[in-house]
Amino acid sequence: MEDAFRGGIRNAALRHVCVRTPSVMPARVDHDAVAPAFGGAPSDAIIEIDGVTKRFPGRPGPAVTVLDPIVLRIADNAFVSIVGRSGCGKTTLLNILAGLETPSDGEVRIAGIPVRGPGQGQGVVFQQHALFPWLTAAGNVAFGCRDPALSKADRAERAAELLRLVGLEDAAAKYPREMSGGMQQRVAIARALALDPRILLMDEPFGALDELTRIEMQHELLRIWSARRKTVVFVTHSISEALILSDRIIVLAANPGRVILDLDVDLPRPRGRADPALLAHYERIWAEISA
Amino acid sequence: MTRPATQRIVAVLVIGLLLFVWELAVAWGWLRVYQFPPPSRIADGLREMVTTGFPTGITIWSHTLTTLWRILQGYAAAVALAIPVGLVIGAFPTLDRLTASVVVFCRSVATLSLLPLAIVWFGAGELTKVVLIGYGCFWVMLSNVIAAVKQVDPALVRAGRSFGLSGPRLYREVVLPAATPRMFAGARMALGVGFMVIVGAEMIGTIEGLGALIMEARSFYRSEITILGMAVIGLLGFAISGGLGWLQGRLLPWESGLDAVRR
Amino acid sequence: MSGVRAGSDALLGLAGICIALLAWEAAARSGAVDPAIFPSPTQAIAAATARLGLADVAGHAAWSMARVTGGFLLGTVAGVVIGVAAGWYRGFGLVARPLIELLRPIPPLAWIPLAIIWFGLGEPSKLFIIFLGAFFPVVTAAYHGVTNIDPGLIRAAQTFGLRGPALLWRVAIPAAAPDLATGIRIGWGLSFGVLVAAELIAADRGLGYMIINERNTGGSVGVIIVGILIIGMLNLGTDAMIARAIDWKIGRWHGN
Repeated sequence: MEDAFRGGIRNAALRHVCVRTPSVMPARVDHDAVAPAFGGAPSDAIIEIDGVTKRFPGRPGPAVTVLDPIVLRIADNAFVSIVGRSGCGKTTLLNILAGLETPSDGEVRIAGIPVRGPGQGQGVVFQQHALFPWLTAAGNVAFGCRDPALSKADRAERAAELLRLVGLEDAAAKYPREMSGGMQQRVAIARALALDPRILLMDEPFGALDELTRIEMQHELLRIWSARRKTVVFVTHSISEALILSDRIIVLAANPGRVILDLDVDLPRPRGRADPALLAHYERIWAEISA
Repeated sequence: MTRPATQRIVAVLVIGLLLFVWELAVAWGWLRVYQFPPPSRIADGLREMVTTGFPTGITIWSHTLTTLWRILQGYAAAVALAIPVGLVIGAFPTLDRLTASVVVFCRSVATLSLLPLAIVWFGAGELTKVVLIGYGCFWVMLSNVIAAVKQVDPALVRAGRSFGLSGPRLYREVVLPAATPRMFAGARMALGVGFMVIVGAEMIGTIEGLGALIMEARSFYRSEITILGMAVIGLLGFAISGGLGWLQGRLLPWESGLDAVRR
Repeated sequence: MSGVRAGSDALLGLAGICIALLAWEAAARSGAVDPAIFPSPTQAIAAATARLGLADVAGHAAWSMARVTGGFLLGTVAGVVIGVAAGWYRGFGLVARPLIELLRPIPPLAWIPLAIIWFGLGEPSKLFIIFLGAFFPVVTAAYHGVTNIDPGLIRAAQTFGLRGPALLWRVAIPAAAPDLATGIRIGWGLSFGVLVAAELIAADRGLGYMIINERNTGGSVGVIIVGILIIGMLNLGTDAMIARAIDWKIGRWHGN
């Protein structure tokens, strides 16, 4: 699949990721939100990954080291992708950032506060959308607004606003099982945003979608991100996806999981898939991963 | 230690503790002997049941065999009839839609409510009980056979067709084997129903059989024999369902594989 | 398209019942068997209305329904609470499960003599038996539902800061609802079956009593048959109502 991009998809519709034709994207897209330059100077590091390792006890046998000491600092409002093969520990690292797993050594600090468990305000989007099937789209998003100061009506309003942001205001009353994969992930993103989190953690969120929907969702994510700036940590196994989306790409190798490449992608968005600068980065990353 | 092992050990401990506390509670007068006969008394009752029997002359084996024999007759007749009828109904959708409501209704009739009627028609003897069991088992088995045929994975049928099979041959070589696991499940369900029916049916008008035993024991204030009888009934039910499960595993080994493939 | 199909299904179903009734009527009238023993549907109803007033029958039916509803509610509440707790709190489950599994193979009817020993011949003993009929399927379904929740849902809920009882109440129980609903429906059917038996064996009111009393006092077979039919229709009707309720509440969001 990666080869197709290297060969260069000459399809005009895909040449410039963020230029959308009305037939492809919902008509209510605000093109102005897409246009301004991204990648403004990041402020201080908001996420500090300080010597984090993760070992699992062997059953039987010696312990398996999934992550060797990882030291990273991620800037505020940056879009950072973590790329690697399956099993290289990227999901584990994300779970540690989310507080869903505890590191064997080291610690993670967000805005200076150590992560001790889930629910400290990080928004998380999973590959399997994990929407609550008994709630409508609006219900799922409202679930995320847990601020007790808000009344029920306020919460509903916020949910509606977020659904509008992700382009699903017409689907507010639908249940997850009535929605397509792309719609489900949009709701998942809206739900994570409902927390008004400082950081957004995304674990291969488009991995379960078909190719075309995936590309569409990449557009959408950039559009949403430009409207609601957050620090994003985006896990993916797709190099091209990382290149389209991020300011910075961190490549992990497997066994044990460790950082083998830390690349800044300083290209203006929207980025063309066949752009030579992009392809150069691609070659570089591919060379590291397959070495 | 693995989880299942832990669970089993805790289970044994919990039950052991319960029996121990029970014995003590009766000894100390917290529980009345008649209402909560302690394990020691139940053990005595067991000895009696195995040797002299209760009512005198009918041992626990005799009771158990009587009950089993009744179940077997009714069950065998029901299943033998339900399979061919169900296969025919399942094969013809129009017939199925015609008979569906009748089947559902007859299944909804509480089998034991037929007991008085059965007594009027067949007397108070063995035939009544066998007929009752047969009735209960028949409708459950029939529903399951029909469902088994209807729920054969259409992909399998298509595959069979692509090999040129059709009509009776398709039915025999594809539909039938595919329906067998569900039919087996139906057979297990039917046996469970038969078991429940006989226990109730034996409580009226007979002194032989496990259901009769526990009722008789009560009217003679032998509560420990009642509890003993209940335990034997439980064991019997457990053995029956376990036995059928084992049989299913042996006769239909491909079923678990098929599930994995489907997933 | 599906509307037409459903309509013709219903029509055929009705036709099937009519055919069955007609066959019964014909068989009975053929005179092969003494009509006192084997009445046709019309004869049965005629005999029944002659023997008992509508008020009597309705009274019996009301008693039966009250009993089964009471026992069922008790069994369901106990089953849900214990099943969910056993599934959610591992320690409790380790202790409760063996006890439940030990008692489960004993059919509810086998508890009748013991129920009489414990509670006497009045209402409580019958309620207890019906309670047992509902309890076991519900507790099993509740346990299964809680222990088979998609772990992804729990993780997602945790990222929103849900923990402990809030997690159980807002996420685990709704997620387990489909299984619970199935268990409840099965429990109702079993309760109903158990009700009749319990009333046959030891009661002085109710539909089961009405039937056995008729037999014991050498009365009309028609009453017995009508009683049986009423029980069957009540069972069917209430089950259909429960199925509709479940479909309405859960069918909207469950299933692929």
